[in-house]
Amino acid sequence: MKRASVAALLVLIAIPLLAAMAELPPHGSSETPAYTHVSERYLQRGAQEAGAENIVTDVILNYRGFDTNGEVTVIFTSVVAVAAILLLRDEERTSQERSSTPVSPVLLFIVRTMAPFIALFGMYVILFGHLSPGGGFQGGTILGALVIVSTVVLGPDVAHRMVPAPARPWLQAAAPLTFVTVGLAGLAVTGHYLGFPSGDEWGWVGTLMLVVIEIGIGVGGGTIMASIFWMMEEER
Amino acid sequence: MLLWPHWLALVVVVPLAGSVVTPAVARGSGRVAGRWAIGVMTVTFAIAITLVLRVAQTGPFSYWFGGWEPPYGIEFRFDEFSAFSAVIAFIGLLAVIFSQRYAEQALSPKRIPYYYCLLMLNLTGMIGFTVTGDLFNTYVFMEILSLSGYALVAVSGEKTAEMAAFKYLVLGAVSSLFVLLSIGMLYALTGSLNMADVSARLTAGVPKLPLIVALAAMTLGYMVKAAVFPLHIWLPDAHAIAPSPVSAVLSGLVVKMGVFGMLRMYQIVYRADVVDLSVLNTVLVWLGAISIVMGAFFAIFQDDIKMMLAYSTISNVGYIVMGLGLASQYSLIGASVHVFNHALIKSTLFLAAGAIIHRTGYRTLTDLRGVGHGMPLTGGAMAIGAISIVGIPPTAGFLCKWYIALGAFQAGRPFFGFALVFGALFIFIYYIRMVNAFYFQEPVHPEVARIGEAPVSMLAPMLILAALCLVMGILGRIPLSFIEPAVTRMLATIGG
Repeated sequence: MKRASVAALLVLIAIPLLAAMAELPPHGSSETPAYTHVSERYLQRGAQEAGAENIVTDVILNYRGFDTNGEVTVIFTSVVAVAAILLLRDEERTSQERSSTPVSPVLLFIVRTMAPFIALFGMYVILFGHLSPGGGFQGGTILGALVIVSTVVLGPDVAHRMVPAPARPWLQAAAPLTFVTVGLAGLAVTGHYLGFPSGDEWGWVGTLMLVVIEIGIGVGGGTIMASIFWMMEEER
Repeated sequence: MLLWPHWLALVVVVPLAGSVVTPAVARGSGRVAGRWAIGVMTVTFAIAITLVLRVAQTGPFSYWFGGWEPPYGIEFRFDEFSAFSAVIAFIGLLAVIFSQRYAEQALSPKRIPYYYCLLMLNLTGMIGFTVTGDLFNTYVFMEILSLSGYALVAVSGEKTAEMAAFKYLVLGAVSSLFVLLSIGMLYALTGSLNMADVSARLTAGVPKLPLIVALAAMTLGYMVKAAVFPLHIWLPDAHAIAPSPVSAVLSGLVVKMGVFGMLRMYQIVYRADVVDLSVLNTVLVWLGAISIVMGAFFAIFQDDIKMMLAYSTISNVGYIVMGLGLASQYSLIGASVHVFNHALIKSTLFLAAGAIIHRTGYRTLTDLRGVGHGMPLTGGAMAIGAISIVGIPPTAGFLCKWYIALGAFQAGRPFFGFALVFGALFIFIYYIRMVNAFYFQEPVHPEVARIGEAPVSMLAPMLILAALCLVMGILGRIPLSFIEPAVTRMLATIGG
């Protein structure tokens, strides 16, 4: 009965949604408003005026950079939320020895060999985000995954050294902080918060600022992923 | 001042930067985090006040991020409605001051820096939400304020807190998805995300059905955030279980963001004038009226004071939503001002309730009998809040409810005017019950009647708010005439 009513409700919501989707301007057609209004300018002039060859990077970091400033704050909020909820449990719990499973030497060897390459690839993705697909979010995920793999295989002691404890709260906030710093620098240089200088003479400064933001997002995102993993690991 | 043109950006950037560094600055010390939060919120409040003064002098103004002209970049648009950001900063500041002693006792020490960080992120999200002129930017700020809100409910560490937070999270996430879906559809229809530009591009050629579904999805999403009956089920637990300063912020401010979102949507659609909104308006009026009555009805049966206050929020949001739906000059002015007044009143009540719980450790009306004698100032603040929320003149609650009732008559729907008065009577009953318990009934626990006052850091914020409840009643004309031009502009296109 309950299942039937839930199904009925879902169908009831789906019908108008599907009907509306059917009447939306056809997806992918170059005639629709989504392609002829704002995004047209992004595609035509983005590479010249916004500082990066990759138009997606232009939009998320420059034209709509403030949205991304907010989004990295959402990601930061998630780590603070996890910390605020899990930390009390930490005190309540009676300290018990965590039984460590022995790690296979094959796995240990592979992770040790691969780790520098994974780190290098993560940095590559971060630094070339303004030219090719990728960027801070993607590269940061790779770095974060590396720290998590190290935690599991090499042990928490080794992994914790990758993100030193005193710097951890700063590194977690790295993405929003870099945004604010670069935003204020942009204010000083161009007269607008998150303004990036452009043109032949100053274009490289704008590109540099984009790269700095990408690094901030990467470092912050990676740290946040690893921190959340560690907190949930302790909770287990 | 050098930064004068940039203050509209800084009103969000300052608390944003201030909150993300809180755990790093505090280095585990709750006391340092508390002081830091007071500093950040004071600066934010000062900036917000200058913006309100500027809008009063010159009318609405914009800030273009990165220097990109709208619709290519993100625009902040500060109009008369955005003046609510100053109220957010003000109540946020008072909640942070109130938290100094409250958090020491109620929260585990390790959590306190994260608590302040989340509280400030929540306030940042709300300030951003009220000042942005861009649809997707609205969504980003909504996520900041929602995510931090869920965590703030869970942070109190009470037994049921995590369950309440989870319920809030699930419903909140679904409602956010509806809003996001709607924004996506509006983008597909217009190719733009800037509110003014979307409005200008919603011309007669736009297909009707997707537009109507988009507006319906957005309303649905925001109605969950505003806790309009029957989408209110997450609210009572979440607001009652959260730490009291958080309850004040959640109940006074966060639910208003749902209303605010609807207001922004109305601005877009009224200006565009392509769809007939009478069905939507009727739905809002009815749901508002039902919320008033049901919220009051449930509140009567609550013994837990915070639970009672939480249900009372549902009633009051009902008034605001009804005012929106009536869509006449008077009702819209009344609704907009009630957003502001209810924020003051409900924060007074929740802070006073928090102080009482902090001192006595009890939270039900039965246990708290006689507390008015033990804590005269707190009890007084609570009583002023109660009188205001019922809407007895000359307090803050009166004028706006009066305006909404006038609006009902102006719109030719006197029935709803009577529903409003009837609801006020209901609300009167349960607040009388509270005042009666606090002052006139024999104490169950004799020590409650001589418990002694709360510390100054708690008393000061709630007494300031209680005083404002009275002042806003006497000077009630000021907010009404302040908001009037915005409402007139909004209605101008539909000839209301």
